[in-house]
Amino acid sequence: MRVPLTLPALVVVRLLLALSPLPALLKWDHQLSSPLTSFVKLQEGVHLYKNGIDPYQGGSFYHSPIYLSLFSTILPTSPLPSLVLWTAVDALAAYALLCIWRARVGEKGRSREGLVVAAYLLNPYLFLSNLALSTASIENMLMLWVLAFASSHNPSPSLLTLSLLTTLSLPSILLLPPLIMLLLSSPLSKLKNPVWKDIRRALPLLAEFIVYEVALCLVCTLGSGGWQWVGRCWGVGLTLPDLTPNPGLWWYFFTEMFDHFRPFFLMVFSVHLVIYVIPICLKFQHDPLYASFLLLGILGIFKPYPTLADPGLFLSFGVVFCEVWAYLRHPFPTFLLHLHSSLLLPLFHHLWLGDGTGNANFFYASTLVFGLAGAGGLIDAVWAGLRCGVGDVNGKVREGMGVGREGREMGEVGGGREGEMEVDWEVIQE
Amino acid sequence: MLLVPLPFLSQGTYIDENALQPGAVNTYWSWGDVHRADRYLEGLEALRDNNASSNERADFISKEFKRLGLDASTQRYHYAAATGAIDGVNAYAVLSSPRSSGSEAMVISASWLSRTGEGDGTLNLRGVSTVLSLAAFLKKYSLWAKDIVFVIGDGYLDGMHAWLSAYHGAPSSVLEADSLELPSGVIWTALNIDYPGHSFSHLGIFFEGVNGRLPNQDLLNSFQHISRYTGGVPVLVYDHLDPRDYPGREVEMSNIPSWLPDFVKNMEDVQEYSYAAKNVLRHVGYQARGMPSGVHGLFHQFRIDAITIFAVPAPGPHGFHAIGRVVESTLRTMNNLLERLHASFFFYLLKGPTTFMKIGTYLPSAVLISVALLFGGLGEWVNAGWVARPAFPSDEKSKDILAGPTQLPLKSRWTRRSRPVLPVLSIICFTHATGLLLFFLLTKSWVLDHLPVMSPILFLLVSLLAPAAFFSLPSQTLPPSQPFSTILKSFTLCLASTVISIISVLNFSLAATLAVLLGVPLSMVAPSPRVFGRIGNYIGYITLGFGWLFFIPQVQKAVWAWEVLGIWFAPFVCLVYAPLVMQAAIVCLFTS
Repeated sequence: MRVPLTLPALVVVRLLLALSPLPALLKWDHQLSSPLTSFVKLQEGVHLYKNGIDPYQGGSFYHSPIYLSLFSTILPTSPLPSLVLWTAVDALAAYALLCIWRARVGEKGRSREGLVVAAYLLNPYLFLSNLALSTASIENMLMLWVLAFASSHNPSPSLLTLSLLTTLSLPSILLLPPLIMLLLSSPLSKLKNPVWKDIRRALPLLAEFIVYEVALCLVCTLGSGGWQWVGRCWGVGLTLPDLTPNPGLWWYFFTEMFDHFRPFFLMVFSVHLVIYVIPICLKFQHDPLYASFLLLGILGIFKPYPTLADPGLFLSFGVVFCEVWAYLRHPFPTFLLHLHSSLLLPLFHHLWLGDGTGNANFFYASTLVFGLAGAGGLIDAVWAGLRCGVGDVNGKVREGMGVGREGREMGEVGGGREGEMEVDWEVIQE
Repeated sequence: MLLVPLPFLSQGTYIDENALQPGAVNTYWSWGDVHRADRYLEGLEALRDNNASSNERADFISKEFKRLGLDASTQRYHYAAATGAIDGVNAYAVLSSPRSSGSEAMVISASWLSRTGEGDGTLNLRGVSTVLSLAAFLKKYSLWAKDIVFVIGDGYLDGMHAWLSAYHGAPSSVLEADSLELPSGVIWTALNIDYPGHSFSHLGIFFEGVNGRLPNQDLLNSFQHISRYTGGVPVLVYDHLDPRDYPGREVEMSNIPSWLPDFVKNMEDVQEYSYAAKNVLRHVGYQARGMPSGVHGLFHQFRIDAITIFAVPAPGPHGFHAIGRVVESTLRTMNNLLERLHASFFFYLLKGPTTFMKIGTYLPSAVLISVALLFGGLGEWVNAGWVARPAFPSDEKSKDILAGPTQLPLKSRWTRRSRPVLPVLSIICFTHATGLLLFFLLTKSWVLDHLPVMSPILFLLVSLLAPAAFFSLPSQTLPPSQPFSTILKSFTLCLASTVISIISVLNFSLAATLAVLLGVPLSMVAPSPRVFGRIGNYIGYITLGFGWLFFIPQVQKAVWAWEVLGIWFAPFVCLVYAPLVMQAAIVCLFTS
């Protein structure tokens, strides 16, 4: 286990931050933890569970029974040990990201490993959620391990982790198709020289996943003493009973909704999330890791009850695809949109719920800006991913971030295309 | 921005909340109550003449409250701030609502010191005696649906801040205050009475709160309506007399420059403009600094809509009789509320007592500048990515290009160059860290106490830190020149634009001030080829960014406001404004 020095250094910094008064301030923040990921709600559920009351009978506990059993037995629910645990979770996630990076880029990317780790541990969306003890951090960590296992061709651990993740948060199941494709091929991009695989080989993997999933469901049922968790934990994303504001696009829409339209639009919103899977998997069938990356971006924008941690995972995951960066068309405007929206979200939230001078429309407007920022990044990533597969006119491939090459001649390489703004995140000048 | 005071951009005020029903009741405040107020005033004047301590004053007031049969108590407080310690004692009383469970409350308050000169020592004795006699008067009626809390705050802002913090359980590291013995409900509205003179001609409205929060406009409009029609007292914004109310003295009273020809000075529109401009400027002065314009401003942070009623000192004609009736009727209006004030505007510019601008009209003035900065920044970003180089026909690649359809007529062609983002980001982080350091030092008492000496030292420190950041940049000499300065400028412009547009929703005056201070200087900044030009520009920008260090009383006051009242102005200047200008100063240091 060879890790760059940045990993332990940043973990120490993060631990120091965890000891500051920051976590207590962030614990209740609506942008960092939704009812599904809130630590306070988890504590409440564990308390009820320990006192012999079924937490799923009330109307406020939506966490998975897995969390319930773990946090009522071996894991701590008091603040300080939890903060240490959460920091460890992020360190593990950063390590998983590093594993994916190594599988994708190989030895060429050796010099940038520190930056990859930093991109995860210093992403404000991620570390603020982590300090708020949102369980989204744990889900992000599991998601990265799913892909890390798959990238290193370990089908069973990967499928097991995904089934675990699915019991924690239902929308993750959308990652199953690209994951199976990834297990069948490799984490490298084959967009330029496609190799077709026998689709029948996917069936055993699918069966394995179903076996794991059924087993975990039984574990959940035994742990929580009934099937009620299914409606509470999985159903909440489909029926949206809790309209606590969050940075996503669902809550406001459904506060305004007449009751008799509600089931229809719930169906539309849920199906809308699913329809992206097949096109993206078809288009990027020769680069399944990239397909998973794009699906994570879609989940970050459109899933029910998103928090900042979801788009954060998409942004940090983006560092793995360094060859694509040179083809991004508008990374700077996307960055500015993210900057604006990440300042507007807490500000309007405060104006509405703290100061009382604003109203819900203010916050909703800022979530729209945030959705726009997410969509800007996603669309850019889709086009850059396809564009990268095609290559330049003169057959040369632009390389971003100077992997395995000198950054200096960047200007001359493929510089003949007028009107196309190329952005090069050239970071280190040798 | 100069258009903001124009008459055609404003609209008349109106009352949006139907429950308020202002001025629809008979008032019962009579000359007997005025007499009682005079008696209280005599008692307070005796206290003043004996140089009574805070303790004695609060005892006297709470004893008077108790004599009326109200629950009354005192609260002592102590601030241990780096800017100096403050002690005092508040007195307060609660009139329990005869009609409800007391889950909501209204506050009538007066501070011992008047807001004249931001608490320069003018006493608010008549304000305090108005509150005392109102307590006696209001107790006689059984129509109150909300608790009425009477608070006499010691000092100017400090006493009321201590009382409110204790009431809402908002702890502060510098404040030690007794907890309150008498609980009441959620406070929805508050009136603060400030009556420093012997009698008054107008009632002035002061409404700006801590960090630029404004009360709901319904409160102001109801008060304005009641004062005019029930009390018969004309209302002003602040204490600005409208010159047009004094025929024959318009020119002498207005602030129109005297060098303008007379026919211009006598034009109706010019007078209107100058009056509105005066009000708007006063507003910007309070709101941009985040300073409350009176004791009422402290209520706003707890989501209480409050205003100060300021009796503008004059030889006559009004006194206790008028102010008592106005306050009684305003209380009846506030008593009618069924929910918090929410219907009318929270974001407005008051240009006169009955005219205002809503957010949609004034916001574009700041946002346009911000958008211009944003486009400037994006333009610089594109510039940073391209460089014109002479084309070499021998170069094979160029040949390909020149043969293609994208041929350029000129002999130079645009080629891409790499944009070193990370070093520039580290410069930006460095400037903000400098701001943080400066702010940290300014809040230390050993710096604050010796500010006349420390100011030049701090100024020198920051002006030396900026070149340090500049020289730490890598590969300055290597060709081709890296577009560091262009990228830094682009980032600075984009950051400034973001800050201005975000702040404009929260505190328009601050955003407008920033737009004026940052707009042109940041857009104009450019590296100079000459050494003297570079140094001159650099000093200019550093002075723009950090020159405020030499305004010693203002710095002390801003730091006091941050420590005691939690006003964000001082940290904002140190952490956001100054670093942005410092980045511009660093851009000046580049040769290209």
